[in-house]
Order: sequence, then C-alpha cells, then structure tokens
Amino acid sequence: MRHETMLWLLILVPAVTGGLTLPLTSAQALLRALCAGVGITVALGWYVAGKVLLSGPVCAGAEWLYLDALSAYNLAVMLLIYGLCSAYAAVYFGVEWQEGRLTLRQARQFASLWCGALAAMTLVFISNNLGIMWVGIEATTLLTGFLICVHVTRESLEAMWKYILICSVGVAFAFMGTLLVGASTHELGLRAPEVLLWTRLHAHAALLNPVWLKAAFIFLLVGYGTKAGLAPMHNWLPDAHSQAPAPVSALFSGLMLNTALYCVMRYVPLVEAGTGNTGWGLRLLVGFGLFSILVAAAFIVFQRDLKRLLAYSSVEHLGIITLGVGLGGLGTFAALFHTLNHSLCKTLAFFAAGRLGQTFGTHDMHRLSGAMRVAPAWGMGLFGSLLALIGVAPFALFMSELQILKAAMDGKAILTLVLFLFGAGVVFVGALGHAIPLAWGKAGPVARPDRIGILESLLVVVPFGLLLVLGLWMPESLQAALNNAADVIRQTGNAFTASAGGMAP
Amino acid sequence: MTTNLILVLVVLTNLKLLGSSRLGASIRMVALQGMVLGLLPVLAHLQNLSVHFVLLSLGTIALKGIVFPWLLFRAVREAEVAREIEPYVGYVASLVAGVLALGVSFGMCARLTMPENIASPWLAPVALFSIFAGLFLIVARKRALNQVLGFLVLENGIYTFGVGIVAETPFLVELGVLLDVFVAVFVMGIAVYHINREFDHIETDRLDRLKG
Repeated sequence: MRHETMLWLLILVPAVTGGLTLPLTSAQALLRALCAGVGITVALGWYVAGKVLLSGPVCAGAEWLYLDALSAYNLAVMLLIYGLCSAYAAVYFGVEWQEGRLTLRQARQFASLWCGALAAMTLVFISNNLGIMWVGIEATTLLTGFLICVHVTRESLEAMWKYILICSVGVAFAFMGTLLVGASTHELGLRAPEVLLWTRLHAHAALLNPVWLKAAFIFLLVGYGTKAGLAPMHNWLPDAHSQAPAPVSALFSGLMLNTALYCVMRYVPLVEAGTGNTGWGLRLLVGFGLFSILVAAAFIVFQRDLKRLLAYSSVEHLGIITLGVGLGGLGTFAALFHTLNHSLCKTLAFFAAGRLGQTFGTHDMHRLSGAMRVAPAWGMGLFGSLLALIGVAPFALFMSELQILKAAMDGKAILTLVLFLFGAGVVFVGALGHAIPLAWGKAGPVARPDRIGILESLLVVVPFGLLLVLGLWMPESLQAALNNAADVIRQTGNAFTASAGGMAP
Repeated sequence: MTTNLILVLVVLTNLKLLGSSRLGASIRMVALQGMVLGLLPVLAHLQNLSVHFVLLSLGTIALKGIVFPWLLFRAVREAEVAREIEPYVGYVASLVAGVLALGVSFGMCARLTMPENIASPWLAPVALFSIFAGLFLIVARKRALNQVLGFLVLENGIYTFGVGIVAETPFLVELGVLLDVFVAVFVMGIAVYHINREFDHIETDRLDRLKG
C-alpha cells in the first residue's frame, strides 16, 4: 500500500469505527468493536511510523500530510497508549455494564467520542499544515469534553465546564499564535496554500520576521500550554482528571497532554532559527517547566483524592518534559524518552486507581488504604507506578530524569538544576507519604470483591514490564528513533547542542 | 474607509458588552458584531477580491450573525434568566478597564511592523482589544452564558486579525476553524443546558465543589 493511502486510513479507520459502533445494542459488543477499530489503527500507525523512523520522512496529499521522525515517534507512543487504554476501557466499562451502572446510551456516547478523539489526535500528528494541526487539537478538546461526564453528576459537569471553557480559550490563543506565525512570513512571499506548511516554514526559518515570531511563540506556548496542563494554566486539569471515568483520565494524562506539548515542540526549531539561535524560546520553556514542577510539588503534598494526586503528578511530569526540551541537547532526547515513560506509567496508575476505586467505591486515599491486601494485582500496580512516578530507580522514568539533570549540568544551569531537584524531592517525599499507607495500611471496607481476569493482569504486567526493561536496557532501535526525533527539534542548533549533542547514550 | 467604520463598530460593541447587564442585549451586541465582522473579508480585500473571501463573508454572517445568537437565545429561554446579578467586577469598573485595554492595545501594536498592503492600521489594535475584552468577560462574569459571549468576542478578535492581516490562510483551514468554533458554541450550549438542569441556575460561581 502507498504511504499516502496509509496516512488517510489512519484518520478514516477510527472515524468509521465510531460510526459503526452506533447501531450495536449491547455495551459489550460496542466495546469489542471499539477495541477492534483501535487495534487496526494501531497496527497501521506502527507500520507507517516504523517506515518513517527507518527510512526518513513521508509527505503526501499535496504536502498537507507529513510524517517525520518527531511525529512518527509521538504517533507510535500515542497509539501504544491508546491501545492499552481501549483494552482497559473494555474491562472497566464491562464491570459497570454488568452492575447496571452504565446505560446503552452512555456506552454509545463513550464509544463514538472515543473513536472520534483518536481520529482527531492522529490528525494532529500527521498534518503538515499548522492550521490543520490546530483544528485537530480543538477537535480533541470538544470531543473529549463529554467523555468527562459519561456519568452526569454535579461534580463532573463542573469539571467539564471548566475544561471546555479554559481549554477553548487556551486553544483560541494557540490559533492566534498560528496566525502570527503566518504573519511572520510576509517577507518570504509564499503562495497562500504554502503559508502554514511546516516543511516550507522550516526550510526558510531563518528568514521569518523575529518580532512577529516571538509574539507568536508566546501565544502558542500559553495556548497549547493550557491544553498540556503547564502551570499556571493547569487549573482545569485536576478537576477533569478526577471526575472523568478512569479510562478517560488515563487518556487525558497519557495522550492528550503530550499531543498538545508536541505542537509546541513543532514550533521550537522554527522559533529558534527565526530568532537567530539565541535560545530565547528555550529559556521560556525552561521557565514554564520549572514553574509547573514546583506548583505541582506544592499541591501533591496536601492531596487526599488519589486521582487528583495523579493529575498533579501529570503537571509535574509535563513540566519535566518541557524543561528537558528547553535545556536542549541531551535534554531534548531525554524529554522525548520521558514522554513515553510518563505515558506508560501514568496510564498504569490511572488503570489501578480506577479499578481500586470500583473495588472500594471511593478515590479518597484514607479509605483506600491496604489496597495491596484487598486487590493484590492492582494494588501492586498502583504502588509500583507511584514509585516509578516519583523517580525511583531502576524504572525508566528515573533514567530519563537523570539524563535531564545531566543536560542541566552540561548547560551549567545550576539554578535550574537546584530548583528541579528541590521540586522532585518534595514530590518524592510527599507522594511516598501517600503511597505507603495506600499499599500496606489497615484494609478499609470493600464495596465489592476483586475478581481479575487474564486480560486485566496483562494490563498491569505489560506497562510495568516495559518500564522496568526500558530502565535497565535501551534497545538500539529506540535510541536511534529518539535521536532522530530529537534532531528534528534541535537540528538548528543552540548553545547547548554544540557541547552535549554527541553525548546521548 | 469602510474598514475603519467596521472596526469602530467592533470597539463600540465591545464597550457596550462590558457595560451591559442584560443578557438579551448582550447577545444582540455579539450578533451585531458578528454581522459587521462578516463584511470584513470582502471590504478588507476589495482590490484582490476572490470567491474565497465572498464565501468566508457569507459563512461568517450566517454563523456569527444568525446561528450563534439563535442558539444563545434558546439557551436563555431554557434557563429563564435575563440578567447577570452580581458580576465579580462591576459594570463601571469593567468599562474603565475596557478603555484602558484599548489604550494598551494601541500602544502594543505601535511597536509591530505591519505588512504594507494592510487595509487599515487599526486592524491589529482592534483585534487585540477584542481579545482582551473577551478574556475580561470570561473572567469577570459569573453566568455561564456571559462566559460563552466572552469566548465569542475573543474568537472575533482573533478572526479580525486573521482576516485583516494574514489573508493568505488557506480556505480549508478557515473552514475548519469556523466549524470548530461552531461546535464549541454548540457544546457549550449543551453544557449550559445540563448545568442548568442539574443546578437550577447557570451561575458558575456555584461550580465550586472541586478545589485544591
């Protein structure tokens, strides 16, 4: 099959699946159809992404579709997590369906929106036109809004309203930024259809108007940053994550935040080249990253709700990724690696939180104590993922954070290093204080007994195993993919790349 | 000349919105602003007029001038509310803030180098002012519907900028954007309806259960 067809299929398959699930009359059938559709998309996407990572960028549809190492890597990670989340959703909602807490209408709403969101996110990664990329992000916002209130309650409505309003405003800012990038091309004399094509802008990045470009990047960073949950624009995030059903929370944390941050990454090489490689944009990223880490650390210490704790942890980790990109050099490499690690780990944590929530009937951490005894598999999954999230060796998150620290050392950014370590230290102590009673405390009352099938235990073992393996050994193909992807962001060079670019492990 | 007239109207409608407590009047103002802005693509590009700009004009007038106000009026009827009771920021203070924002917008845009073939030097500052005004409305008002209006004003500001200054944006992108805004307002409308049914009112300051 030609690449062009494959790229189109990547959007079409999930969209069609969403439509096909509608006439089904049992939630179980709906969920199976959904998993099948997502499975096909994952297979297609991995095939294309693998091709791109091995043999270079693919361009199609009159240059409107484009997949290079950066987008291929992010697409592959996104699809991996989407596959896991879909399998988990089948388990999670299967339980709710059997207990009669999920109506057919809710199941249909969930399935169609879930597939729609996959199509929209794929569109973000494969579009070369920065305007269409924006359309994809806005579409994910609107499609996932109703996923938060699959179960309509006061709290979930409140969370949904905050999410839709704050993110719509944020995304509107991002569009303003996109337009400003368009305005910065006036001196280039591009034809109308070419103005927002990333490949064209990238080829002429040094000729873009720096004043317009700086204004654009501020709007873009604030706009997409809102969607990515960077502090101080993160207010919607803990509410949405805590109120949404667990598969949706996992989707938000593991995918949607990354997708928004990917959009910022797309602009980094343009802005760096356009402003004369002075590191102006990178410094902004470092600032936002550090601020997010510190704000999240402060809130993590005082959390009672497990899912809110995980939500703030997402703010922290997105901050770490932003910081890594901002540091450049080895940091960019580590940031991309951290994207994969965080997504795997956070989805596992939300999986466990959701199933434990069903077992205990609450997400309050005081009442969830002793989870390890009541539900060994998920209790273990939760404790392990919390340990990995706070940066315990030998998990992969520890490795990527260590590389980011090293990038800070290489760049002689001592203040950054100290603030990062301080934030990570506070998170470590704070989250560990929550995690130990959660795992070994006196077991609280149980709403319903824990039964676990083979698929469920796989959902614990696979992400956990991957995190462990990646922490101890990095396959050469992954390392090459990460390096290629990082080169897309940093290839224009900056102060740090010269000294650290060659030191990637 | 006519472009300037449109921009003056946009500024006036924004100020009226900042100072108005009646929801009905506010929706009419936003509708008027949408209609007037709908003329902008044609008027700002009279020299190099093409089908693209005419279609964009028609689409904008239909959506921003007719469909959105209709959706919002329906929401008002469902919710049976006519005015904002106690906004976070009073109306006089809002007006003063608006005038200040207008000054700041002109000051900021004086530092940017505009492209040469631009229809009016006021385009960028007025666009920025609309963005500020929209943000202000979202933050300073309690009613969910007023926040939607704020979002529309913000969106109008960005639209003004896009049509006036970055005319080269491909048609498909503009179409996608219009569609997204349409769905956004639609979704917000449904959300308002749900919130109203669940809470018996649509004041977002009572949406305060989720904290920390």
